Parts: sequence; C-alpha cells; structure tokens
Amino acid sequence: MKNLVIRICGTAGEGVISSGDIFALAVARSEYYVTTFRSFPSEIRGHGQCSFQLRMSEEKAYTTGLMTDVLIGLNEEAILSNIKLLGSGGILILDSDEVKNKFEEFSGIIKYRIPITTIATEKASIRAKNMVAIGIMAGLVPQLELKEQLKKDIKKRYAKKSQEIIDSNIKAFEEGYKYATENLKREDNLASMTMEKSGPKLIMSGNEAIALAAIVAGCRFYAGYPITPATEIMEWLALEMPKVNGTMLQCEDEIAAVTAAIGASYGGVKSMTATSGPGFSLMSEALGLASMAEIPLVVVDVQRGGPSTGLPTKTEQSDLNMAVYGTHGEAPKIVIAPMNVEDCFYQTINAFNFAEKYQLPVILLSDAAIGQRKECVDKIDLSKIKIENRLKHTRETDTGLYVRYKNTLNGISPISNPGDKGGAYTATGLEHTEICQPCSTPEVHKMMTEKRFKKLETATQDFIPAKTYGPDDAKIGIITWGGTTGAVLEAVDMAREQGYKIQALYPRTIYPVPNQWLNSFVEGKEMILVAEANYTAQLLHNLVYRLNKINKDIKLFEVLKYNGEPFSAREVFDKVDKVIRQQMLKYTTFELEKDESYKF
Amino acid sequence: MEYTLKDYKSSTKPSWCPGCGDFAVLAALLTTMTDLQLDPDDTAIVSGIGCSSRFPFFTSTYGFHSIHGRALPVAIGLSAARPDINVITLGGDGDGFSIGGNHFIHASRKNPDITYIVMDNEIYALTKGQNSPTSHDNVITKVNPYQAVEERVNPIMMALSFETSFVARGFSGDIAQLKSIIRQAMDHKGFSFVHVLSPCVQYNDKITFDSIKEHIKPIADDHDVTDRMAGMKLVFEPGYYYTGVIYKQERPTLQEKLDEVQSKAHPGHPEGQQVEELIQQFM
Repeated sequence: MKNLVIRICGTAGEGVISSGDIFALAVARSEYYVTTFRSFPSEIRGHGQCSFQLRMSEEKAYTTGLMTDVLIGLNEEAILSNIKLLGSGGILILDSDEVKNKFEEFSGIIKYRIPITTIATEKASIRAKNMVAIGIMAGLVPQLELKEQLKKDIKKRYAKKSQEIIDSNIKAFEEGYKYATENLKREDNLASMTMEKSGPKLIMSGNEAIALAAIVAGCRFYAGYPITPATEIMEWLALEMPKVNGTMLQCEDEIAAVTAAIGASYGGVKSMTATSGPGFSLMSEALGLASMAEIPLVVVDVQRGGPSTGLPTKTEQSDLNMAVYGTHGEAPKIVIAPMNVEDCFYQTINAFNFAEKYQLPVILLSDAAIGQRKECVDKIDLSKIKIENRLKHTRETDTGLYVRYKNTLNGISPISNPGDKGGAYTATGLEHTEICQPCSTPEVHKMMTEKRFKKLETATQDFIPAKTYGPDDAKIGIITWGGTTGAVLEAVDMAREQGYKIQALYPRTIYPVPNQWLNSFVEGKEMILVAEANYTAQLLHNLVYRLNKINKDIKLFEVLKYNGEPFSAREVFDKVDKVIRQQMLKYTTFELEKDESYKF
Repeated sequence: MEYTLKDYKSSTKPSWCPGCGDFAVLAALLTTMTDLQLDPDDTAIVSGIGCSSRFPFFTSTYGFHSIHGRALPVAIGLSAARPDINVITLGGDGDGFSIGGNHFIHASRKNPDITYIVMDNEIYALTKGQNSPTSHDNVITKVNPYQAVEERVNPIMMALSFETSFVARGFSGDIAQLKSIIRQAMDHKGFSFVHVLSPCVQYNDKITFDSIKEHIKPIADDHDVTDRMAGMKLVFEPGYYYTGVIYKQERPTLQEKLDEVQSKAHPGHPEGQQVEELIQQFM
C-alpha cells in the first residue's frame, strides 16, 4: 500500500495541531485516505511539546504508521524527541532560524534547513510559521495536487477571523510552497511518488463520529459536563442538536448530566451523556438506576490516562473494569469499544439500538486517541442503517392490565412513556415486582435479577460476531479491543512477514463476550496474548477464567502499554516476538508472564 | 370526563407512620391536581430517596422514584425532553439540601417549569433518626450523641439567594393554606419551590405540630412578593416561620430558552433540518 507519513512538532501554541488538522482535512478532501494522531500537553500554550502525525494512503490504514517519512520540527527540543521516528532515507525539515543543531549524529536521513521563521516574519506574520510549514510539505509533493484544497481549508479554518489574518495565513502557506518548489535543492525522491485517489469520503474525529451517530440513531437529548478529552461531543451537539429540534443541556456536574439523561429517556426520548474517567466515576450510581429501572441510556467514556485527574490529554484503556463492574449490586449493562473513528460511528448506532431494545445502559468505551484524531470515514448510507426503538406498552389480553416489568421469555418488557394513555407506572431503583411495587422478598429479588440478566443473554444474539484476522490454523492467538486493535492487526501482518502464524480476535462488544466467540477462537490455539493499553491487563483478567475453562492448558500472556500513548504496530510486534521467543526457549516450564521488562 | 380525587390515588397505601406530616402534603397536592383537572397520564411525579420520596407510589400518575438527591436533575431532563408533561418534584430536607443541595442551585438558574415540594422534618427518618441539614441544635441523635457541630441551612434564604423564581413556605398543620400555596406554585411559570414544615412523629420530638404552630405567622397581605429584599427580611425575623408566598418573579423558563436556541439554530425552518444536512460538513 502506498502511503506517506508526516509528523509536525513544535511548542504548544505554535499551531502544530491546527496545521496538522488543516493538512489532514485537505488530504481527505483531495480523495486520499488519511489517519492522524495528535499529542499535546494539557496546558493551553507555551509549555511542553506538541506533535501531529498523519498518514495519507491509497487504502484505509489501521494506524498512523511505523516510521515517519517526513518530520517537520519548529524547535530543537521537539526535533530531538521525535527524530528517532524518522526512517532511513526520511526527511527532516527544520526551522534554521530556531535550530542551530546540525543533528550530525543522525545519518541516513535527508536534512532540509529552511528559514521558516524568516519566511513567516518577512512575508506574513511570526504567528504563521505553521502555515509556512504545511506550504513546504505540500511543495514537496506537488504531484499529489494538495495546494488548492489546502488554501480552501485554511480559509475555512480561519473564516471567523479578520480578512487580514486569513490573507496572512494564505500568504505564509504560498511562500512555504514556493520555497519548496523553487528554492529547495532536492535530495529525496518524494516528488516522483504516485498515489491513487480513492473517491470522495468523509473526515471527522472519533468524538464527532459519536455525536453524529447519536443524532442518526435518533438521540434527541444530550446532557453533559465539560471534560477533556470528551468535550467535543458536547460542543458538536450544542451546535447541531437544536438543528434537528433536539436538546443539549449543560449540567452542574456529571451526576446531574447522567440523571437528566435518564429522566429524558424515561420520557421516551433517546438520550446520551459523554464523559471521561473522573466523570464516569461520578455516574456509577446512576448507571445502576438505569439498569434497575430498565431505562435505555447511552453513556460514552472517552478514556484518558491514569486514576484521579491523571493525564487528561493522554490515552489509556484503563476504564474497562469500571465499565463492566463499576456500579454496586449486579446491574446488567452492555459495554462496546470502537476500534477507530469509523467504528465510533457504527458502534454508537449499535449502542443506541441495544439500549432501546434491551432497556439498559450501554457504555461506549472510546479513548483520547480515537476521540481526538481525525480520520477518513467511508460515505455513510443512511438507508442501510437499522434503527431500533423500545417495545411499546401493551395490555395483557386476559386481565387488561399493563405489566411494566413483565417477566417475559426474553426478559424484555413493554415500556410506556409519560403521556401514553393507560401506561402510568412508577419507575424505581428499589427492587420491585412486575407491576412496579417496591418489594424485597427473596422470590421477587431472585426472579427480577434473573429477568434483568435474561435480557443480556437475549442481546448476545444481536451482537455482531467478533472478527478474526489472520489464518484460522494459527497456534498463536492475540485478543485485543478498542483503540489497540489497529496496531494489533498491523502487527499480525508484520508477524506474517517474519514467518509467524498469528490470528487476532477483536470483539467490539466487550461485555458480555458470548461463549461461542471464545470457543471457536481458542480451538487449536496453544498460546493466547491479550493486548491492551493498561497496567492490570483488564480484558485478560475478565476472560482468563473462561479461557482456562475452554482449554486448561492454554498459555496466556499480557501485552501491555500504559505510558499514556497508544500502541504502535511495531511495539505490539516486538512484544509478541519476545513472548514467542521466550516461550520457545522455556517451552515446558513457562507460566504467565511476569517479567517487568516486557511491559513498555 | 371530569377527574375526581380518586383518579389520582393509587391502590398502594402510604407507608408513612400514622400522624406523619406528609399525609397533609399528599392530600393538598392531589386535591390541587383535581382542581386543575390534570390528566394523570400527562403528569409525572419525580422524587429522590427518603420517607417523603415514597410519594409517587401513592399516586396514579407517572412516577419516578430515583436515587438519593437526584430528583431535580431527573425531573429537569424529563421536563426538557417532554415539555408537554406536567412535572412535579418532591423530596425531603436531606435529599434536597444535603446530598442534592448542588442541584437546587442549578435548578434555580435553569428555571424549568417544575414545582418542587420539599417536606422538611428536620431529620433523616428513613434511616431511623439522624441529624439533617435543617435540624436544630437541640436535636441529639445517634450520630451526634454529644451535640450538633454544624449550623442549620435556611432553605428559604437559599432559594432567595439562588433567585428561585417562586419561593413559598407551608405547614402540614394547615392544609387549606398549603393547598392555596401549591396551587399558586403550579400556576407559576418556572421553577417553583415550596418548603413545607412537615413534622416527623417518630424520630424528631423537638419539631412537632404543636411546636411549629407556636412560631407560625402567615405573611401579611401587603407583602410585596416581587421584592426579594422584603422576602429576605421575613426570613431574618427571629422566632417566626412566615408561611405563604414569599417571592415570585416572572422570567423566561428553561423550555422557552431552549425553544429560542432551536429557532436560532435553524431560522426559518421550524420543522428542523434533515440528518443528511448535518453530514455535509464532514465532506
């Protein structure tokens, strides 16, 4: 697959992220596939380093790539922390006004020293260095015809600013482009690279995909509280929800947000809230209410790093345990984890469909990396999207009564909404009888617990089966979820090139995981690795008992990363490679991997 | 068809202790609903947790007995999503002023068209008698066996300072006045707060029907309900509980503001936009 990986880095406030965003949009609108990754500190300006990586390609790519082809650095510190990502023959573009270091110890790369600051200051403005940078980038590959689209996207980005600022940015961009095409003595051969266009497509971030899908699924009420890195969902819905006559309500805290969503859903309107770890912790009690009172609800957790305030702008997959177990008592719910931006869209539709059909909370576990990055999504065909609605309330044929929590064969009971004639009932978080009377007798609690869990069993028949990737006869399996999936799938390809036969299993519904998915995957496997971005191997520990029950001899290994950055395919592969080599050495005695050095 | 009182009563017998002040509130509310001829199927009563929060089970309307302290946000969500439904919220002093205190501030800011009735017995009664945020310092319970260490909150003062758009106080010992207050609260367009002194006969012997009666004073007819400072003066007068409507302000409700947001979002298209149009921005 033909592809080009570009990374821009600099100090927070230098416009690295916005220039990367603009470049990615222009690439997508020029009909190439693009996927991105951004890394920035939680402070707004002047501290710490930012970087933005994008990969443009002929076909859809799972990750932003292994190595960088072009690195654009606006200062020395930023270059030093990113230069190791340049592959052999890679291009380093640096601002010669700011960076005096010649990086002579780094050989095998092409270095272009360009006076970016001078160009920006003399031709436009000191604040337009980032525009010069993307001008240079576009000028390195004029044959890919990005220039005109980039100019359109720069204008669009700054549409709300003064004409002066727009003109200055365009000028800076054009000067950068001119420098690269006219003044630069080229030592590379990027200018002869070709790339096929793949037709019109959409580009959006994971957070935008979730917000858009919510509206497509019929959500017309959103309540939220601002929190990084989930706020864009709320901001997008604040703008768009009223356009479809829906409501976005800002609340005083996450408890109010989730309970307002529950209140609205009790009212018959599909409802959602979105948050990140700290807010999700606050919502725990209310999730139990939605489960107990059987109110459909979608809660999005865009996971960030660490416990407590942790790392607000970094990514991790460390809320799985909380999503699955994080409310008191036994409260059935469904947990879904999208694997990339496009998946955010379709899994959000699923989340609403499950919530409505099974009258329970559905948790969508996204993460900071997916939520914040922009990526291509194939055109959406609304006519192919199936939307489920809750079962309307009915009366018993014999008694004429409405039994709100009727213990049916599949566990799903009819549900009325305020305003429905003859449907009045009192929803409660207390244990209750089928006709909603508070009741704590042993018989009723046993029956109603079973009834609520029966819905989960029924729901598993609706789940899209977990997909596999790689040969069926592989003896080595790797299970992964959510944001780590892309890296794992690319690592499977790398492993094949190295002569390893590995098969990956990547469920999107990660709780409950139906037995049949595990049974057919474990069959024929000798060892299974579970890859996820957390310290305590949360998915592995969720599954270990069941995997051992299917095959007591199966060897299980953790593949973990927990430094706040997402897995790259290289990191997954190196870890897998190491486990396999060790395993072959100590084949007869090997037990669950405990070696700290194996963790990234 | 005309609704009568029995159309609002459920078959469930109230679980309150005989003599509980909350019976009076139930009677006053159901009578007011009968007077207003509210359709029980278009009405929802939302509560939190506590003795008084059992209320929805005793009525035949839609009801939501939610979680401790969260009745207001549940009700606001319901009301914002379903403006066609009459939403009434109620609960106790612990539910409303302690665990749920924060929501009272923000409900007042939002001004949803909801009536919020708090039955204040100055005690946690469902958990069998612990100090509450409104308990007087002579209330000695198992959690403050030596003495109270906190000051009381003043719910009316809270409401006035949050600029709740309707503030009133009633007493379970005076059903006629309570009915009149609840009626005015329900007629009010916006967030109406009714503080009801509603004694607990089981766990708080310091606040009884008789002790309250000694301190009750109906608000004089010439009180200007639009004067917030005048309301505050009533609250500050030592030794008395003034009952009646203390403050009233007409201002846009949450729903009116949300309607405005919608018309600004799609000017000239009252039916709203198509979902397809929203996708265009990602092209």
